[in-house]
Amino acid sequence: MSKNKTKKYEGSEHELRARTAELDELHHDVGMPAMAEALAGMRGTGRRTFLMGAGAAVAGGAALAVGTGAVPTLAAASTRRLSSVKASAFPPKGLKGDLAVAAVAASLENLAVFAYSAGLTAATQGKLGTVPPAVATFATTVKGQHQQHAAAWNAVLKSNGKAPVTVTNPTVTPTVQSDFAKVTDIAGLAQLAVTLETIAAQTYQAETSKLKSSAAIQLSSSIQPVEMQHTAILYYVLGMYPGAQTSSGTPLAFNPTSMAV
Amino acid sequence: MTADPRALTELLEESQDLQADALRPTHEALGELVETAHAQREDDAAANLAFHETHTRGLTSSLAGTALLGAAGGAVLVGALASAAAASSSSDVQILQTAASLENLAVSTYKTALTLPYIGGSSANPVVTKFAQVTMGQHAQHAEAFNSAAKSLGGKAQTKPDAAFVPVVKKAVASLGSATPAQGALGVVALALELENIAAGTYVKDTVLAKKETNKALLASIMGIEAQHVSVLLAVQALLMAGAPQLISLSPGTAAMLPAAAGSVGFPNAFYKTNSAAPARQGAVK
Repeated sequence: MSKNKTKKYEGSEHELRARTAELDELHHDVGMPAMAEALAGMRGTGRRTFLMGAGAAVAGGAALAVGTGAVPTLAAASTRRLSSVKASAFPPKGLKGDLAVAAVAASLENLAVFAYSAGLTAATQGKLGTVPPAVATFATTVKGQHQQHAAAWNAVLKSNGKAPVTVTNPTVTPTVQSDFAKVTDIAGLAQLAVTLETIAAQTYQAETSKLKSSAAIQLSSSIQPVEMQHTAILYYVLGMYPGAQTSSGTPLAFNPTSMAV
Repeated sequence: MTADPRALTELLEESQDLQADALRPTHEALGELVETAHAQREDDAAANLAFHETHTRGLTSSLAGTALLGAAGGAVLVGALASAAAASSSSDVQILQTAASLENLAVSTYKTALTLPYIGGSSANPVVTKFAQVTMGQHAQHAEAFNSAAKSLGGKAQTKPDAAFVPVVKKAVASLGSATPAQGALGVVALALELENIAAGTYVKDTVLAKKETNKALLASIMGIEAQHVSVLLAVQALLMAGAPQLISLSPGTAAMLPAAAGSVGFPNAFYKTNSAAPARQGAVK
């Protein structure tokens, strides 16, 4: 994918994917000495290896659509609604209180998974120009974390005898779909990702003080900071201050909730 | 490396103004609590006992799992801190005072770091310098907000750093004196990283323990900010250890040069870990 002529670290994509898988599966902190070795040992990042990673990511995204019918990726459906559920009918009847919040959370996570999958697909198809290796790794890793978040919320629903939520959030999906159709490069995709991550983080934050069960609060609180970490790295990639900020780029010490759904 | 320091300085100043505005709703919400503070200030004896027992266990667990305190002699601290049996104020006040103590420690640590030539001096990376300045300012605002909330509930402001961590921080700072600039920068980043991680983990955990909605909301509005500090420090640490400090930059085009692993090093866990969290009453005013 990369047509970039600028100097960058090039190395073993296999080694890096192994590290990413380790992060995803074991949830362990990354040992910095090992990280340094990985960085120093990188060789041969190339178009083919990136495409392989992207393909695997899309396959992972497709698995989430099971149970929702033929749900297209955003890239393939920029003129269609990804979620066939009306916003007024969501969360489904029968889900009240914490369970309704769980449904909304799962739907937001599903949307994030599909957005990153679609972004990786578009990148694979060469629609976004040069894709920096770090951005490819970011999208693949973050997509995996959102899948885990969705699974966690659906586990809450399942443990309460409710069906899992496999649709994307009907309130946000149309806007994301419309915005995605306008994305032409990696910077545009990163901006869209910032919006999605911000909505998710602020929604969790707003719900933290409203949820009733300790387990739900704990889950929500354990995810909100991770979504904000995603945002920090996105800002860094965009060359912006790497933290919560106003629309004009002013750093914020307190995260707002104005974008919560 | 090529970021415009003037622009960042302007952002910092603008941020301070905006933060004052942003805090206003928080203060208003806290003000609403004052009316009911007297009725709710002292939790019933059973609740206080349960809180104490839970956090004595939590204290033991935290000390066992925290590298910093392990180095300080965890067993001694367990005994010393766990002996402060009777809760002198409500559990929420203690949570807020502990949070303030962590913020005070962070402020003093960043303040010290900024006196070092490779963090705040002419030889420092300007992005690192400005990050330290902005972050220090944010921690000061967090301390103020936590103390305002504690006072609104009838508690005292915690103006001191968390005593349990102070000796270890002092020791770490002292070791920087003989370090080379490269070693020193890594040492500062490692120390800041650990403090930020403790703060973030503590607040994540305390959103469950806090009883008042406004306190939960305050903790939630800050925990992600600390987690972002962790992300930045993880990325900086990785780039320093890889011998690529030139990539610690907000200039256009940097993303294209970043190693692939830089895309994931800033968020190692899908769910934020709380195993380094400070016990909820550890920094309470005694």
